[in-house]
Amino acid sequence: MNVIEVKELRKEFKSYSSRSGLSGAFRDLFTRNYKVLRAVDDISLQVKQGEMVGYIGENGAGKSTTIKMLTGILTPTGGEVRVNGMNPHKEREKFVQTIGVVFGQRSQLWWDIAVQESFRLLKKVYRVSDEDYETHMKEVIETLEIEPLLDKPVRKLSLGQRMRCELAAALIHNPPLLFLDEPTIGLDVLVKMKIREFLKKINQKYKTTILLTTHDLADIEALCDRVVLLDEGKIIYDGRLDQLQKNWVEGKEVRFEFQHPVELGSLEMVSSQFDVKWRQGERSHQWIAMVDGDDDTVSKLMSQVMLNHSITDVKINHVSTEEIIRNIYEEGMSHG
Amino acid sequence: MFYFSIFFQYASQYLKTRLTYRGDLIVEIFSDFLFQAVNLVFILVVFGHTTLLNGWSREEIIFIYGFFLVPYAIFSSFFNIWDFNDRYIVKGEMDRVLTRPIHSLFQIVIERMELESMFGVVTGLVIMFYAGNQLGLELSWYDPFVFLFMVIGGAFIYAGIFISLASISFWSDSKTDIMPMMYNIGNYGRYPVDIYNHVIRFVLTWILPFAFVGVYPSAFFLGRTEWYGYAFLTPVMGVIFLSIAIILWNSGVKRYRGAGN
Amino acid sequence: MGNFSVYVEMIRIRFLMMLAYRTNYYSGILIYSINIGAYYFLWQAIYGSQESIEGMSVTQMTTYIAVAWMARAFYFNNIDREIAQEIQEGKVAIEMIRPYNYLGIKTMQGLGEGLFRLLFFSVPGMVIIGLAFPIDFSNSITVWLLFIVSIIFSFIVNTQLNLLTGILTFFLLYNTGLIRGKRVVIDLFSGLLLPISFYPMWAQDIMGFLPFQAISYIPSMIFTEGFTGAEIYSALGIQLFWCFFLIIPIQLLWVIAKRQLIVQGG
Repeated sequence: MNVIEVKELRKEFKSYSSRSGLSGAFRDLFTRNYKVLRAVDDISLQVKQGEMVGYIGENGAGKSTTIKMLTGILTPTGGEVRVNGMNPHKEREKFVQTIGVVFGQRSQLWWDIAVQESFRLLKKVYRVSDEDYETHMKEVIETLEIEPLLDKPVRKLSLGQRMRCELAAALIHNPPLLFLDEPTIGLDVLVKMKIREFLKKINQKYKTTILLTTHDLADIEALCDRVVLLDEGKIIYDGRLDQLQKNWVEGKEVRFEFQHPVELGSLEMVSSQFDVKWRQGERSHQWIAMVDGDDDTVSKLMSQVMLNHSITDVKINHVSTEEIIRNIYEEGMSHG
Repeated sequence: MFYFSIFFQYASQYLKTRLTYRGDLIVEIFSDFLFQAVNLVFILVVFGHTTLLNGWSREEIIFIYGFFLVPYAIFSSFFNIWDFNDRYIVKGEMDRVLTRPIHSLFQIVIERMELESMFGVVTGLVIMFYAGNQLGLELSWYDPFVFLFMVIGGAFIYAGIFISLASISFWSDSKTDIMPMMYNIGNYGRYPVDIYNHVIRFVLTWILPFAFVGVYPSAFFLGRTEWYGYAFLTPVMGVIFLSIAIILWNSGVKRYRGAGN
Repeated sequence: MGNFSVYVEMIRIRFLMMLAYRTNYYSGILIYSINIGAYYFLWQAIYGSQESIEGMSVTQMTTYIAVAWMARAFYFNNIDREIAQEIQEGKVAIEMIRPYNYLGIKTMQGLGEGLFRLLFFSVPGMVIIGLAFPIDFSNSITVWLLFIVSIIFSFIVNTQLNLLTGILTFFLLYNTGLIRGKRVVIDLFSGLLLPISFYPMWAQDIMGFLPFQAISYIPSMIFTEGFTGAEIYSALGIQLFWCFFLIIPIQLLWVIAKRQLIVQGG
């Protein structure tokens, strides 16, 4: 069964532009210029139960707008949305009972009151029975290690502490579907790791479907098998993360550190049987080979080079996901 | 039932928080009293220079003011939405509200309630009884019931007007200074509307019907029979204005653009 | 004061910010007009058949009310609430390390807002009201000039009181009650609702010792020519006195607040 079913979803905003300067502002008083901006442009998407999907894109690519339509906050301009078998904004109150939402930059908790009081209010709001709350939340609180924070008011918590409480608050009604919008923004590495472990755990235990937007691709690498890449409101890639890496990266990059300065000509000579491009590193001793081919080819090239020149160091670089994605945005999806 | 239990849950939480900052609570209650006194002072000072206001005596005007305070207290306890645009639209808190399984307007009502404003009910009743006594008014058995309907009607009118104004924020992102001014206009319903010219009287009766939160319903208790028709319209107007407001609100929520766009 | 152009920039930015909100001002003028109109009829009813009360005619009274509300659009601002909010959100600590005077910046923002409302709100509003109701505009240039000087003082005194209530947030944590109370007191004691001369003598005596009359009563009386000759200059003297006197508590509280901020680290 598909938890999220989206067909040709579209959202347009009217955006007003202001004229510059004082006289321009004065003219804006009477008539304003506006243009229609398509924030989400005919997106189609299916997510199955238990999937963890990374939803990524640059600022303004339409991530938040999509999430807000999927959670019933915004009404779509066009297209179809069904989430958990419902139309989010039409049956909003019934629908939100089945989802959990965390906005990294916005608090769900009451600022002045103790964390557990906030939990109690939310328990009422989501009509969670005492037993369900006991069994489920006890575990959540334990795993997130927030027991000692429960009697503190939210304003006294650090960002990392608050974020863990936010996560717990979003799970009070044990929703089958969780939306996380930048859940790790501004957190330190340790807290990030804790949160990732926790998300993995609930995904395994409850088959919770998770849709996650983030700027930190390490989150995606740690959690998501599937990524959806968004650019200017359109999906430009939807598939497995490792597939993305494989498709994009043709071959590897080998960095040689020679004992003596080496000429390009001699390197090209020894590597003439390979499909390779040489590039000078930062120093005259350093050369970088871009090899097209599998691991076998790479190791053959390396031994060939080392037979002819003595080296001090050699390194095979993997292209990071971040680099891949940066490349995609810079050069488009043509390689894929 | 669910909404009732949620309401009490929030109310008890609210009281707990407020009692933590007792100092501010006391100052706030005091400033409410001050506010109520200011208007009374205005009436007293004015009647220091005249004996009748278009045929209405000082005590009658004071009685109307006393009545006004009761629906107004209920309104200001539960409908603190004058800063809705700033607090919920600009700062994006509406996003959070919309992810919870309770009607959005109801959530805002319970999040923003200020129960201490209910003290105004007491002040209002005291003023009414004082003025009524001076005027020698008799209390019939049905008066409390009529009073209840009038008060609810009045509170609904206030709520309706302010909810409608707050709903504008869904269509227009610009902030408005209308809300604070509207509190001022509300004051004019406390004077006999026949002192105004027909345009203002029309506005106060049918467009911004603040006259139903003051002079019209009070006319019933003051025995001004010529106004009875308007007096009995109070609860009807209340229901109509609140319904319009809720319809406006609901269609506004569909237009909500979210923050930061 | 540091870099002067920063402050000018603040006025300009706030001015442009206000300009961006347009619907505001059409509806605002309309509502102000209804407001003043209602007052006009209320006062007509109060006067009844009397020619004058406390030496003021109905026309003078109407003018008084109109100008008092229009001047309010200029001196009124919410910087007390802004300061309170910035303190609660911990933003003031950041403002402290900037190379300007925080209170100065807040004042300039208030001024930008005030100037905007004066130009786009009060002036057109006053023209509309002048057409709709019998209002006496003075034809003496001196009266207009003195009025302008006087509303500048109004702005200063009102802003100082706002700064004072704003800074008090440092010591109260929550002060919505105080802010609200202050507003009510200013509406009543400043002469916005009623000229101070209408109050009983004993009340007038007390108000003579308070800064509030400097906000609304004095400029409105100058405009309606309720004050004449030497009265005007002594009234302006009172305003000037409060402008300087209020600096003392503000500076005092600000120094203590800053010290507290350093100790607690925000």
